[in-house]
Amino acid sequence: MAEVKSAEFKKASGRALRDEKLQHALDHVMEHFVGARANIIESDFGDESWEAMRTRAAAIKQSTLEHLDYYLDMVDRSVRRNGGHVYFADDAAQANAIVLDIAKRNGVKTVIKSKSMVSEEMGINHILEREGIEPVETDLGEYIIQLAGETPFHIIAPAMHKTRQEVSALFQQWLKTAPTQDIKRLCVYARDALREKFAQADMGISGANFVVAETGTVCLVTNEGNGRMTTSAPRIHVVLAGMEKVVPAIEDLALFLRLLPRSATGQRITSYNTFVGGPRAPSDEDGPEEFHLVFVDNGRLNLLRDEVMREALRCIRCGACLNHCPVYQKIGGHAYGWVYSGPIGAIVTPSMTNMKVARDLPYASTLCGTCKDVCPVKIDIPRLLLHLRHKVAEGDASERSTTWMERLFVGQWHSAMRNRRALEGKANLGRLLTRPFTRGGNVRKLPFAPMVSGWTASRDFPAPAPRSFARLWREELADGNTPANGTER
Amino acid sequence: MSPTPEEHPNKAAFLLRVRSALGRSEPIVHMPDHPSLKSNAARQQEKVRTVVARNQARRSRTLDRLARTAAAASWNVRRASDAEEAASIVAEIAHDAGVKSLVRSAEDIFKRVDIDGSLRSVGVSPAILASGRSRGRGMLRDMAFRADMGVTGVSYAIAETASCAVIPRRGVARLASLAPPRLVLLIEPEQVLESLDDFFAITRLNRMQARGRTANYFNFISGPSRTADIEQTLTIGVHGPGEVHMVILG
Ligand code: SF4
Repeated sequence: MAEVKSAEFKKASGRALRDEKLQHALDHVMEHFVGARANIIESDFGDESWEAMRTRAAAIKQSTLEHLDYYLDMVDRSVRRNGGHVYFADDAAQANAIVLDIAKRNGVKTVIKSKSMVSEEMGINHILEREGIEPVETDLGEYIIQLAGETPFHIIAPAMHKTRQEVSALFQQWLKTAPTQDIKRLCVYARDALREKFAQADMGISGANFVVAETGTVCLVTNEGNGRMTTSAPRIHVVLAGMEKVVPAIEDLALFLRLLPRSATGQRITSYNTFVGGPRAPSDEDGPEEFHLVFVDNGRLNLLRDEVMREALRCIRCGACLNHCPVYQKIGGHAYGWVYSGPIGAIVTPSMTNMKVARDLPYASTLCGTCKDVCPVKIDIPRLLLHLRHKVAEGDASERSTTWMERLFVGQWHSAMRNRRALEGKANLGRLLTRPFTRGGNVRKLPFAPMVSGWTASRDFPAPAPRSFARLWREELADGNTPANGTER
Repeated sequence: MSPTPEEHPNKAAFLLRVRSALGRSEPIVHMPDHPSLKSNAARQQEKVRTVVARNQARRSRTLDRLARTAAAASWNVRRASDAEEAASIVAEIAHDAGVKSLVRSAEDIFKRVDIDGSLRSVGVSPAILASGRSRGRGMLRDMAFRADMGVTGVSYAIAETASCAVIPRRGVARLASLAPPRLVLLIEPEQVLESLDDFFAITRLNRMQARGRTANYFNFISGPSRTADIEQTLTIGVHGPGEVHMVILG
């Protein structure tokens, strides 16, 4: 499985904030996505019917999840009836083994890939390379990322943080092309290099945007045409799909194809939609002779099991919550440390990978609620974030990630707040201990208390008043006097 | 047709885990309540009858709408009053673009719209991209990749999104509408539908009536191949055709 670097969240976000070039790219792109989405919804539907569509989509996805075993069985039967193979992989390792086995059985040397987030989870490129099989990403953004040896920066715009100069440098290095500032030229370079791969490749790997249970149809949503190439040119087609990608009926696609592109890029529809449910017919002119659909769990069961988190699996990966998130808009995608970033990344990463490693992610939000308002399947992201925060603080030992110091502190706090005498005692102690660090009425740093020093490193804490209210009351106020020196500082 | 592939050995255990994560011990026997799954072939047929009637009644308005949405999605839209005019429009497009090698599908529409004749009159001789004529995967692929222009018909055109549904089959190669940098699609008025809903209702019925013996593969083509992956700058024509033409008969 792809390495989880979410423990570095704070450090990585700091780096992103200081990167001026990145800040510029983020401002520009996010503004573009947000504006395009608002315009197309306004011109095509208006708020009211958009809202009704979101409600219906959320209900369909939720009901599919509640009956997921039933629908997965239905997909399996449909695809096999179409002549395709279906696999069920518990984790990344199993999924990798399945793909590798298909590749080896067929003597595959080159694999062309059209965008698949699941394959990013699996880290399959490394596995293939290790076996001497060349994986080639064909989505332009993914291709750039692959040449740079990075992970996607954004679900639908993987290379948005790269400038044309950087892309040109990468192409010079890897494709031996001439340097250029012309974006059109750069696209032509990539197109020509990839054309060769399309002609050579024996196997195509794609993701799936939707998998229709009743017909066994996998629906791919693309703009470049690489999805069509991947499903047309090679002899074998393998689909990697998260097990939550199922929708029950082919007619449901009308709704989801209206929601997805508008939410993602503000397009009415993408340039291409590919629908594939099995191998070519013998009478067809071209197309893969073998079709393999691999369903992947890889931590999704943890989300399904938790009744509060379950709705996170409704996600159709449109990226709207990223584009509208004030935190993502500043730190971008890499800081989140795994495949998924932004609000959706913050809710799925801890459950799918490791709560302790990803413990900072649920806090990477102001809880402003914009993500929830734009989500085409109405996932209540703020609520799920709070649920995760609760788990981080209080979950069972396997999930809890608080340190013993924090727990000690909170325990003491708890007992103090329940008993007046204890509270006064502790407050007096605090007054004594913080006095040396108080400047202008604020506690600036508490170096001796590791459990709170992280907190005070970036925040000032109002210093305790020299005399407590209880003392004031006892000494002066109780008998009707006015305090001698008010709220003294 | 080859036998149905076998069930994956991990399927039963996998589904069991899913079921217990959902807090159930038994599999579901009755289909969950989902309106678009429940309708049987007879009811679906009834539904499609109304869809077809509505589309017939509103045809000329829908054609206008298609022309509008298509233009907005960067299609070059041409409307022809008859087959002869359509054929000469195709020749004109090829001529203007200086096309040297052109591939077309083998479809019935070319019996009505004689593009072979009109193209020859401007000095282009179209090749048919279909087995019989190009032996083997490699040859067909080479031919498609070398061509400057592809011409095919469509199965449906959807006015809502300016999407052309292209269903590859005998005579219609997948690569014909994908590999050449220029694409011309010929659309007949009866093929035009108002909405995505109409298209999927018909697709579902076709499938039910054919008992699964329908195409495993089809595409919507809804505009030129595009990317904005470098600096969010829109660039046309990456892996698919960058120049797309819709020739509507009517
Ligand atoms: S959570 Fe909602 S808004 Fe975010 S990517 Fe998923 S579907 Fe889109």
